[in-house]
Amino acid sequence: MKRNKHLLSGTFLLTAPYIVWMIIFILIPLGVVVFYALTDSVTGMFTLGNLSKVFTGAFPKVFGRSVWYSLVASAICLLIGYPVAYFIARQKPSTQRILYMLVMLPMCMSFLLRTLAWVGILRDTGILNTLLGKIGIGPLHLIRTNGAVILGMVYNYLPYMIMPLYTVIMKIDPLLIEAAEDLGCSSRHVFTKVVLPLSLPGIISGVTMVFVPAVSTFYISQKLGSTSTTMIGDVIESQFKSANNPNLGAALSLVLMVLIFICVGIMNRFAGKDNEGGVVV
Amino acid sequence: MSKELIRLKNLVMEFDGERILDNINLYINDHEFLTLLGPSGCGKTTTLRIIGGFLTPTSGDVLFDGARMNDVPPYKRQINTVFQRYALFPHLDVYDNIAFGLRISKLPKDEIHRRVTEMLEIVSLKGYETRKITSLSGGQQQRVAIARALVNQPKVLLLDEPLGALDLRLRKDMQNELKRIQQAMGITFIYVTHDQEEALAMSDTIVVMDKGRIQQIGRPEDIYNEPKNAFVADFIGESNILDGVMLDDCLVKFFGRSFTCVDKGFAKNEPVDVVIRPEDIDIVEPQLGHLTGTVTSVTFKGLNYDIIVDFKGFKWLIQTTDYHPVDAVIGIRLNPEDIHVMKKSEYSGQFGDYSSYSAEYDELTEDAADEEE
Repeated sequence: MKRNKHLLSGTFLLTAPYIVWMIIFILIPLGVVVFYALTDSVTGMFTLGNLSKVFTGAFPKVFGRSVWYSLVASAICLLIGYPVAYFIARQKPSTQRILYMLVMLPMCMSFLLRTLAWVGILRDTGILNTLLGKIGIGPLHLIRTNGAVILGMVYNYLPYMIMPLYTVIMKIDPLLIEAAEDLGCSSRHVFTKVVLPLSLPGIISGVTMVFVPAVSTFYISQKLGSTSTTMIGDVIESQFKSANNPNLGAALSLVLMVLIFICVGIMNRFAGKDNEGGVVV
Repeated sequence: MSKELIRLKNLVMEFDGERILDNINLYINDHEFLTLLGPSGCGKTTTLRIIGGFLTPTSGDVLFDGARMNDVPPYKRQINTVFQRYALFPHLDVYDNIAFGLRISKLPKDEIHRRVTEMLEIVSLKGYETRKITSLSGGQQQRVAIARALVNQPKVLLLDEPLGALDLRLRKDMQNELKRIQQAMGITFIYVTHDQEEALAMSDTIVVMDKGRIQQIGRPEDIYNEPKNAFVADFIGESNILDGVMLDDCLVKFFGRSFTCVDKGFAKNEPVDVVIRPEDIDIVEPQLGHLTGTVTSVTFKGLNYDIIVDFKGFKWLIQTTDYHPVDAVIGIRLNPEDIHVMKKSEYSGQFGDYSSYSAEYDELTEDAADEEE
């Protein structure tokens, strides 16, 4: 018994720094957000006014748009990312490392800079329109459209889709594919009956890792979109910075958080009981 | 036996310029239990993978019922495989794993259910339908793998060292089980193993392979009693292999003494390899023996003692049920049918001398074979 106690205190000592970290940087800030969301901006008294305001005016529409755009961006990331991840996972190890690094490379560049670069590419007198002009097309109106916003999301978050997919696909035993062929599967059936089900945890992880940051993103819409493509992240930012209403901003954040939990919960349902490799956010 | 089902013609396989299979010619009959036996790297798994369609030979042909099969993909062959590491689908339960092939060929649901249930019974896994693959023991996974392959009623079942990961007891049980299933279902089995006991116990025909070449094809008794060269003699069971000279038909000379034997058809005074199995040697009083030697080591093996006996510097392995202490001088007698004469081969002189004998020789050969991927 004495020994067990010792072990327990040892475990506690080892995890203590993380627990302290969680309390200072996650639980306390969360408490602050809840506090602000439930207090009046002028009187400082308890109120549900901020929360009820979230469900009025343009806010529900912005919420809906954010979720919708993020879902579309996640779907596109999946469609692009899956073949890329599959291709990388089937190369020889040295090639795999190089390709994986290339996928990661853009992430070493500042998020803001990457988004700004797209402005230069997409604007009416930008690189793309100049090139299109040379072959007699355009100029096309590309920037300040919802397409541009989704493009910005896909570009920025694609690596987060490829990473978990690659990891999961790489781990699929090639022998299982041979076994499937042996049991009568054409290459299409090998994919739908074996490879795809086995990569489901990676798909769930990837979609979660793209959807969650995308739904709360800001800046992308400010640079690539218009007023009709404003995202909830931008609205929250403006409440803190220009509108000077941190209480409403906190209420919006809180609702967004709950919304994300619900979405992630639904997605994890698809993964089934034993969601190995899945990410719980 | 019955008619020919599979034929391998001048099969050659090369990887990166290295020759893995060197001119393999082999035919396999319908309903036959054929074993490809050999040490690691002998090409037995490669041969099996070519038959399964997972590899295309560099040259030569694979014929199935007389039709060339080289470029037919695995899913179009009437062959199923039990893989070495089972390769069960981790996302499916026992029932769905076994039903996998039947569902791919779009059989009616009730027929699938009937056949899967019947198969579960055959491999004694009734009641395990909804169990997860990861919750099964090695032996149970093995049986699921066998059921998953057999439920498709293939003409040929390929088995790639299927019992390698099981413990001895379970391995023996599964050997009997496999043989029983093979006979009950009347399916051709092509079985790959490095375990000579397993091969002897189960097979109708054994193909002994080494260095990408077939060394001998025959019934288990023939392979054991009439090995073609020193490699086969050494690989199948234990053998004392001596240099001899064939004086005449049925007369061979070794250790400066001529012995009557039963082998014929050699040239006069042809140098040969002589095989004497350790269990065939009769121990007698020194003065009555054809040869006399000194015991240098004794190992108790359960069924018998393995003793190493020094005959003029050449050490023999003798298996005896009577205890003879170290340094005892014994005589041995050899009956004509105990002496097997083989032509000299590239393997002559490499095997069959127990000078470097240690009690671990069994384990050593097993370790070497385990390295096979």
